[in-house]
Amino acid sequence: MNFSFTEEQDMLRISARDFLAKECPKAKVREMARDERGYDPQMWRSMAELGWMGLIFPEEYGGTNASFMDLVILMEEMGRNIVPGPFFSTIALCALPLLEYGSSGQKTKFLPQIVQGEGIWTFALVESSGKYEASGIKLGAVLKGTNHVLQGYKLFVTDAHVADHIVVAGRTGEGKRPEDGITLFIVDVRASNVKIEEIPTIGGDRQFKVSFDSVVVPGDDILGKIGDGWAIVDLVLQRAAVLKCAEMSGACQAVLDMTGSYAKERIQFDRPIGSFQAIQHKLADMLIDVEAVQYLLYQAAWGISIGSPSPWQISAAKAKANEAYQRICIEAIAAHGAIGYTMDHDVGLYYRRVKAAQFAAGDTDLHREVVVTELGL
Amino acid sequence: MDFRLGEKELALKEEIRKFAKAELPPDLVRNTVIDGEFRDFDFEISMSRKLARRGWLVMSWPEKYGGRDASLLEQTIYEMEIAYWGIPGAWMGISGIQWVGPCLMMFGTEEQRGKYLPLIASGEKDGVWCTGYSEPNAGSDFANIRTRAVRDGDDYIINGQKVWTSAAHRARWCWLAVRTAPNATKKHQGISIFIVDMKSPGVTVNPILNYYGRHHFNEVFFDNVRVPASNLVGEENRGWYYLMQSLAFERRSIAPTTYGSLKRILEELAKYAGQTEYEGQPLSKNPVVRAKLADLAINLEALKMFAFQLAWRISQGQIPIYESSRNKIMGDDLMKQGAITGAEILGIYSQVDPDSEWAKLNGAIQGAYLGFPGQAIAAGTAEIEKSIIGQFRLGLPKSY
Repeated sequence: MNFSFTEEQDMLRISARDFLAKECPKAKVREMARDERGYDPQMWRSMAELGWMGLIFPEEYGGTNASFMDLVILMEEMGRNIVPGPFFSTIALCALPLLEYGSSGQKTKFLPQIVQGEGIWTFALVESSGKYEASGIKLGAVLKGTNHVLQGYKLFVTDAHVADHIVVAGRTGEGKRPEDGITLFIVDVRASNVKIEEIPTIGGDRQFKVSFDSVVVPGDDILGKIGDGWAIVDLVLQRAAVLKCAEMSGACQAVLDMTGSYAKERIQFDRPIGSFQAIQHKLADMLIDVEAVQYLLYQAAWGISIGSPSPWQISAAKAKANEAYQRICIEAIAAHGAIGYTMDHDVGLYYRRVKAAQFAAGDTDLHREVVVTELGL
Repeated sequence: MDFRLGEKELALKEEIRKFAKAELPPDLVRNTVIDGEFRDFDFEISMSRKLARRGWLVMSWPEKYGGRDASLLEQTIYEMEIAYWGIPGAWMGISGIQWVGPCLMMFGTEEQRGKYLPLIASGEKDGVWCTGYSEPNAGSDFANIRTRAVRDGDDYIINGQKVWTSAAHRARWCWLAVRTAPNATKKHQGISIFIVDMKSPGVTVNPILNYYGRHHFNEVFFDNVRVPASNLVGEENRGWYYLMQSLAFERRSIAPTTYGSLKRILEELAKYAGQTEYEGQPLSKNPVVRAKLADLAINLEALKMFAFQLAWRISQGQIPIYESSRNKIMGDDLMKQGAITGAEILGIYSQVDPDSEWAKLNGAIQGAYLGFPGQAIAAGTAEIEKSIIGQFRLGLPKSY
């Protein structure tokens, strides 16, 4: 057993932290929350030049073939700095399944673009049920000649307004189980008449309703096999749950760090408030939460890294992160007092992003169900 | 990072499973939380002997002291499995294996090691220890102890009182913290550790029953007890340093043992929920029950990682400052969560006397329910542990 990162992994973390401290201060996070695109294309290009988009992709697509754990480390740092933009949508939700399930033609065409920072992608799954469940997939896909025609809409699609491609889960048939008959389509946004309307959120991120009114998808633009899409969705959600968990882990650590510093500096009753047990014990609880998230995350990520993912350990990590991230933010605001409730303070930036993070790649109920099923229930 | 268990560890798990099946009533979840293990002492000691014969009792000790140099990871797995199967007799009075032995290896004389370590490793009654730390005026404020040891020729004379002394009524030896320098500038600078034979004249043990009437701990009086100077551990007045180390050893094993016993309870609860009808369907279909069992399983998984991480840190030669406290808090919180969740699932049966034939799951849930508040106080309250994390991990000012 070994709980330490490699030297290269430590270097990756340090260089990511340095880059983001310079390029992604909280002023940038605030600015991007108001920006129409929601991300800074110049920073996006720099990230690509640093090799972040290509981190875990094979060299043949321009990547550096690093491990899944390396991506987790990078995304912890991104979460720590609340990096705005479509990195999670593009890499976690789309590029990873493209690598695993894409045809060689799709991979050769799309992956180098993504690795170079020139492709922005997102995944359209959830519909009116608001749940990541197969029974919620109603968007119809009807075969016409060699093409499919999509009819329906998707909700809470992240970064759809800047995406050039959207992977859409549609229903091409009905089977015994709701999982049967789901197909994943690759929709070229510029070449089709999808309608994109913003769903304003409390987090300052970008989410959309995406409507498909007789959108024609050419026969080749299918990810995986017709009718077998849910197996891919399942795997996408597992990988994405771990990567979202990594962002949340970094965010939790950042909130703990800022609260610890504040508790040492803030003087009341002639002493630092961190000397009061009411504050100190709150911080100790936060630390235990942070480390629980970290070790569950590393366990889940390690499983994926060695090619032996454990779905229930993945779900344990995400469910724990969902609960812990929220609690840590709430406790941090309480420890800060009124200043923590202001627009100027950073802690609110994290708190406002809790909800989006909780629902991304499966809410707590979904992941608890995976865990409890493992118990034989 | 690598979280694989080696073949050694996996084989050990399997051996312990076979051992438990052979030596304990089959498929019976054992109720060990509430009264520790001292109710049926003869049975406990018979198991200690068997564990010793298997080479497990002190597996992580060096061979020359009766161990087999097992890694701390193996030791952690062993503790998890012992607790999972409810195998009694693994601790030689709690203290012996967990901290007396390891502290003697670090701070004791060669003579002390040669005498006491093989006794502990034998699994016999003469290797059972208790620990004299708390006093009426020294609970969380441990450095406030007043029991005195005064030098008298080749001996020390000990006077004073200890309280909450677990297993004192079973122990042959006491690992005793006393004051040797009453005028030291700081309270913690005048403390020493002695090995005391519990059969010495002047030692009196009185039972204190816990709120459920079980005899786990005691008050112990020392009235002019004469102890040879060769029983002083380490240097005089350096005891505080040894005590902190002993507490770190004690707190380390809380995560593996809590993980093991709760893992068993979780599995038994899941089975029970599947077999019990409620309003026309199995309890396991109830979404509230499902959510609670899931949360317990998730937190247990975190506790497991904490246990391994701490073992790994120590095996790297590092001295874990806050991890033991973190694991103690997490373990205690989970025992509470497991007890309360379990009691909710048992419903009205959660009030049945754990020894009664009416008890579900052999009373393990009631045992946990009655036991967890005590376990959470032993070896340092949550408040003390959180202050340790605050100061030593988060760098906050001392809070008391």
